[in-house]
Amino acid sequence: MLVVKCPVCGAEGDETDFHAGGQAHVRRPASHDPAHVSDEEQRDYLFIRINPKGLHFERWRCDRGCGKWFHAARDTVTLEFKAFYGITELPPADVIAEAKGQWAEYFAKRLKAEKQA
Amino acid sequence: MSELSHESPLAGVTPPPGLSVSLREITDRGMIDLRGHGSDQAFLSAVKGALGLDLPLRPRTSAGSDDLRVLWLSMDQWLILCPRTKAAEILAALRSALTGVHSLAVDVSDMRAVIRIEGGGCREVLMKGTSLDLLDAEYRPGCCRRMRFAEIAALLSVVEDNVFDVYVFRSYARYAWDFVCATAREPARVRLFGAQDAPA
Ligand SMILES: [Zn+2]
Repeated sequence: MLVVKCPVCGAEGDETDFHAGGQAHVRRPASHDPAHVSDEEQRDYLFIRINPKGLHFERWRCDRGCGKWFHAARDTVTLEFKAFYGITELPPADVIAEAKGQWAEYFAKRLKAEKQA
Repeated sequence: MSELSHESPLAGVTPPPGLSVSLREITDRGMIDLRGHGSDQAFLSAVKGALGLDLPLRPRTSAGSDDLRVLWLSMDQWLILCPRTKAAEILAALRSALTGVHSLAVDVSDMRAVIRIEGGGCREVLMKGTSLDLLDAEYRPGCCRRMRFAEIAALLSVVEDNVFDVYVFRSYARYAWDFVCATAREPARVRLFGAQDAPA
């Protein structure tokens, strides 16, 4: 049983009080540039997900609490939660530093884009 | 012309004999769903003007008196409890105070059924249906929270140390009632937690 803590209202409980909402940080390509969305981009957005062994980033909802969505960083091997953070936020820097593979690539790209903006 | 009438979802249902807690439905409760931003000063002061009390902003708390109580449901949602006969009047006052403020107020008095569970050991009975630790100091009078109870969505309000109100959506009322009746039978007491006093 996973023990989840909502970063919005502070409610802590087992996973049945929450709702898992799949992979975090999936961005809809059409919201950036609706006129130029390739089939590949749209396919990746709809169907392609990261499935890591180890640190993963997910969306959760405080289903039986405040009702808000939030993000969680969880290890898929040990099931340990590394962080809970807001739905519009990136994970804490020390957790991003632990990300590997596709997630490391994703955050590097995202942080670079935010620096440029 | 047809006329609206209030019919309780638990009309005619009485608790079976031999329960370890006392059980009844509260039917005369008016409920108003209020939404707005808890960080919006205009919203907060308009509500205060209409209700005469501050909205509770701390998660899982409530404010007010027996006649008019506001339960915190979320950072942007509250449930106002009042006598059923007063709901229309309070709703009108709220709506006029909130004119021009981004908000929503709706009479939802018929949306939920309220089951009152009373007596020593009622925390133990409720804990058969939820993963919450109701012996935690957080669950003292005035505390309220939504929870998963007997696999359905419910709202729990601690009225007094051994008095709890459980709000369930109307269509689940009979199921929730039957669940409590089954789990509250005297022979079904588990006494895992000793005397089951309210948390200190
Ligand atoms: Zn929450």
